[in-house]
Amino acid sequence: MKKKLRLTIRMRTVLEAYSFLSLWLIGFAMFMAIPLGRSFYYAFNKMNVTKEGLTPEWTGTLNFRRAFSTDVNFLPLLQNSFLELLIQVPLILIFAMFAALLLNRPLVGRTFFRGVFFLPVIIASGAVLAEILEQGAERMPLFTSTGLFMTLSNVIPPNILEPLLNLADQLTLVMWNSGVQILIFLAGLQTISSSLYEAADIDGATKWESFWKITFPMIAPMILVNTLFTIVNSFTAANNQMMAYIRTVVFNQNDYGYGAAIGWIYFLMIFLIIAFVFWLFRKNLSNTEGRR
Amino acid sequence: MSKTATQKWSDKVQADWVVTAKKRGGLFISKLSLYTVLISLSFVFLYPLLFIVSQSLMMSTDVSDSTVQWIPQSLSFSNYLDAFLALGGAQSRTYWDAFMYSGIISFGSAALQVFSCALAGYAFGRYRFPGYTLFLSLVLFAFLVPPQTIIVPLFQLFSDFGWINTFYPFIVPSLTGHGLKGALFVLIFIQFFHRLPFVLEEAARIDGASAFRTYWTIMLPLARPAMLVVFLFSVVWHWNDVFEPNLYLRVPNYYNLSQTLAIFNGVGSAQIDAATAGLNAAQTIGVAPTMMNKIMAAAMLSILPMLVLYLFTQRYFVESVERAGIAGE
Repeated sequence: MKKKLRLTIRMRTVLEAYSFLSLWLIGFAMFMAIPLGRSFYYAFNKMNVTKEGLTPEWTGTLNFRRAFSTDVNFLPLLQNSFLELLIQVPLILIFAMFAALLLNRPLVGRTFFRGVFFLPVIIASGAVLAEILEQGAERMPLFTSTGLFMTLSNVIPPNILEPLLNLADQLTLVMWNSGVQILIFLAGLQTISSSLYEAADIDGATKWESFWKITFPMIAPMILVNTLFTIVNSFTAANNQMMAYIRTVVFNQNDYGYGAAIGWIYFLMIFLIIAFVFWLFRKNLSNTEGRR
Repeated sequence: MSKTATQKWSDKVQADWVVTAKKRGGLFISKLSLYTVLISLSFVFLYPLLFIVSQSLMMSTDVSDSTVQWIPQSLSFSNYLDAFLALGGAQSRTYWDAFMYSGIISFGSAALQVFSCALAGYAFGRYRFPGYTLFLSLVLFAFLVPPQTIIVPLFQLFSDFGWINTFYPFIVPSLTGHGLKGALFVLIFIQFFHRLPFVLEEAARIDGASAFRTYWTIMLPLARPAMLVVFLFSVVWHWNDVFEPNLYLRVPNYYNLSQTLAIFNGVGSAQIDAATAGLNAAQTIGVAPTMMNKIMAAAMLSILPMLVLYLFTQRYFVESVERAGIAGE
């Protein structure tokens, strides 16, 4: 008790909270807020490399216009990375949910299976994944083998079959990317009390019904968490082409202003997607707020 | 009418606890299909590892031989020796030098992130203060900003400080609870601290402990599951990260494992390109001195430390995610 200061209890707790938070706040200012502001400023400038370092030269929205008009690489890249995200996120969610439901049952060797399902997070998330992808190992021989393609193309027209098989090929990548998501779903499943299922069973609900009426609503918050995690995780993925492109622009072409501009465009697009995700889950969010 | 209904009801009751032959058969089939699905999925998950191990033990002749799929005709451990030297990334460096750099970056940053993210998480999880909502949304914001957006000023900042080719660009942001996925770790700690009972703290405070002492001696030891999950994830993600090391370690003498692996791969493809220039796909078979086996040996060496770590901490990885409440509510 410091009597000299004569602080109220409320003041004291607030001070304590801020002192716990101070380190993080300093970091936020240095490594997030200021860089973000500076990168926003750079985006409207042409950065000239001179003896005194970088000198900005105001060009207005030129960098942004360049991204959408004269740069032949940027738009296809942006389109690809978002198309990939839009395909992968639902697939990862569905697969992770499926795997979590499987692993949540009483099993012999449950720890082993969980360990195996999580293995790609350890080994296939960085440079090694890039190597394996380059060798084409993610394409399971099952789907790309020409025999299957030829047989199926007699039945299904090739222009429908090809995207389908490509999607099937991507499935391995989807599985390798869903380790953390499986764990999150699993954690969610284990918080659901078994008495709910018992009650539903007594009332005559089938397994299918109790999945949609109990399991699904109960782990809906985890779906939001997983969606956000999957999106955020894709930024630093070893095969994120936008990352590679910005690095080339900045460090090989020394075009700092333009690099900042496309970084911002990417960010705004991501932000729109995330806003859309939050809008989808708005009902769910308001529910959890009430529960706390 | 009512009699048949009663009949059905009693049937159902009996069926729940009397295991009939028919039921046992159904149970067997559903068990069988469950394990079939699980084992075939496990194969997909083990596939990259099996692929790396099998390729890395092959002689060059086996790699280009299309009749050899998985099992090499003769084992060759010389790939590992070559990879061991090549992973140094520069002359007079071997695997160990790059390994040290990777180790310092990942274990150092991980330890610091545990320390700093726990502090921030404690503030959010246990206190209500003016600006709470604002700062919490800043955490979420920091989580969602792609690193691509801020690399230019961040690189500039670190080069102004003279921190390029040092560990500081990894260490200092980690010390303040930022760095690779720092915001996610703060969120994990928030969730964890939020769920602990308030009585513990109150008791300590009434007994006269200061806020920091309460945190350090009572709350932090309780947060061990969350600390463990943050530490392990941070180590693994830093180890596998290629983006930041490529940005901040720009001299071959300072390269870490993920960088030297990428370089080795580049050397390999360049050799293959040179050997196969001007040939069509069918002609290249057997001509190119493929380095795939050596590259895969290098890949194996670079993930081996993480595999060993995973082997011993697998239980914690999986369990602590549940206990630390990553999922939250």
